[in-house]
Amino acid sequence: MTNSTRIRGLFETPVLLVAIVGLVALVALFGDPTITRVTVQALIAVVFVTGLSLFSGNSGVMSFGHVGFMAIGAYTTAYLTIPVNLKSSMFSDLPESLGFLATIHAPFPIAVLVGGLSAAALALVTAPIMARLGGLQAGIATLALLVIVFTVLNSWTDVTRGSSSMIGLPKATTIWWAAGIAALVIVIAWAYKKSRSGLQLQASREDYLAATASGIAVGRHRVFAWVLSSIPAGFAGALYAGYLTTFNSRTFFLSLTFSFIVMIVLGGYLSLSGAVIGALGVSVLQEILRRFQDGAFTGGNSLPAGIADLILAAVLLFVLVKAPLGLMGTRELRLFRKRSIGSAL
Amino acid sequence: MILQIIVDMVGLGATYALLTIGIALLFGILGLMNFAYGEIIMIGAFAMYLFKDYPWFVGAVAAVVFAVVISVLTERLAFRPLRNADPVTLMIASFAVSLALQSVMRMTVLPRTQGVPPQPFLTESMIVFGIRVTVLQIVTLVLCGVLLGGLALLMKKTPLGVQLRASAENFQVAKSLGVKGSFVIMSAFAIAGVMAAASGIILVARQGAVSAEMGLTPLLIGIVGAVVGGMSNLKGAALGGLLLGMGTVLLEATLPTDLIAFRDAFLYSAVMVVLVIRPQGLLSGTKVRTS
Repeated sequence: MTNSTRIRGLFETPVLLVAIVGLVALVALFGDPTITRVTVQALIAVVFVTGLSLFSGNSGVMSFGHVGFMAIGAYTTAYLTIPVNLKSSMFSDLPESLGFLATIHAPFPIAVLVGGLSAAALALVTAPIMARLGGLQAGIATLALLVIVFTVLNSWTDVTRGSSSMIGLPKATTIWWAAGIAALVIVIAWAYKKSRSGLQLQASREDYLAATASGIAVGRHRVFAWVLSSIPAGFAGALYAGYLTTFNSRTFFLSLTFSFIVMIVLGGYLSLSGAVIGALGVSVLQEILRRFQDGAFTGGNSLPAGIADLILAAVLLFVLVKAPLGLMGTRELRLFRKRSIGSAL
Repeated sequence: MILQIIVDMVGLGATYALLTIGIALLFGILGLMNFAYGEIIMIGAFAMYLFKDYPWFVGAVAAVVFAVVISVLTERLAFRPLRNADPVTLMIASFAVSLALQSVMRMTVLPRTQGVPPQPFLTESMIVFGIRVTVLQIVTLVLCGVLLGGLALLMKKTPLGVQLRASAENFQVAKSLGVKGSFVIMSAFAIAGVMAAASGIILVARQGAVSAEMGLTPLLIGIVGAVVGGMSNLKGAALGGLLLGMGTVLLEATLPTDLIAFRDAFLYSAVMVVLVIRPQGLLSGTKVRTS
């Protein structure tokens, strides 16, 4: 194997994926507002699902809790970007110790960054748990994390406004922000996948006992991937908040989790390309289904609410039965076909 | 006062035990953490709404029939093609089934929350030894007692029970010894359907309303109870549910008022701790693989 094919093998997939993200963003530039809206949503989904795949794809542990990190990112952005004078009337009952929340203000880029880091802080707190669990137990623990985050956001009304909405966020998420961060996250996820830690984590995914027997500290790598993957989730939350401009505790709960699960399963959770393609594909599918439900294809007669969800659920079940590893399986996008087994890595 | 709390504790504990059993039964045999269980409960509750103008027992029988049919149908349509899938795939599939059932109900018969006037006789209460007991509490206790006792008898004494337990122990070996796999799994789903129906009946009487989303809370309670008690062990799961219900009443009675809203956060934190310290459940003796 020559050096150039190895380098090509290393950079081909991320370059291709970033190019896809760039293309999608370009499409939005020349499209009407609806297309721009769908594109921004799709790119935010790419940010989130790529982050999720950084953890789940490498460790083989499915997480249902990442939407909790997303919520943290979104609420952080709300505190930092809602105009101060509006905030003082919105949060009149802030407890003494959190009074600074009403006065702080930061530009959107800082808010995105802090959102990612706050998510990472929560990930760090829960990391010891994730290091010790695998399989179904980990799935339930991450779900418990989601419920805890939701309960706190929903019940701590003095600080989070609970189920009444956060309002007045400036509409800061542009197509370029979404595309830029999506590209960044793709590069980070790819770099991690090819790193020493990433490869060791993948080894533990394939055979836990063999990996531990070979001296791999599985827990440590899981913790690293868990914390690292929470940052894109926080970013996604910040972007989503800056895009929606208003949200409440219910925004970040089971239905959002479900759509991300559909994306990652449909694309193939073991493959980074699968995560990106799944996120883009399912976002488009959801928009089509939404229009279908509103009657765009049936002559304006809107169909009963819920049919979009039903079709999405049916698609997910079909994929789980027919191709449990999703569209991409373990493959990654490549322009050139692999020459030999050796270049597979 | 204390006696009153104890009565409430037992009442809620029995209700939760019922929820937990339905989850644990399917988990033990299939490795399926069934998120669609909440929707089966909702179907049962919906039957009570549909027959709300008929005598109570008509609704109750209809609830059982509806829930069992739908429960078995989900097995046939969704979970059978995935029989050899790993637990996480099954869990994701059950998410999909749960969403599908919810959507169908929302599209057709339950677009919004519907009130179910409580049966007059259920709301009556009486004073026994100085504490107030509602008929509903008594009905709950009797229903849970009969169902849990019946299930215990079924598992212990009947051939079906032996087959169910054998399948839970080792499905492959049970099958090669002549246990009809599909039949056993379908019976498990049917039994889970009966449990769900009973939970639905109790829930409707407690809440006085049905909606497409009502399954979520009981589902989460069932999962927590099963995790705490030990997922692959029915006795452990029932005890876990009982403890959870009693703990909930106790927390509500003792927590300061401004923390009651965060009750679920405490409960789920406890779940995470239990998962880490005793992944096999507090009350279960066997060791399970954690990864």
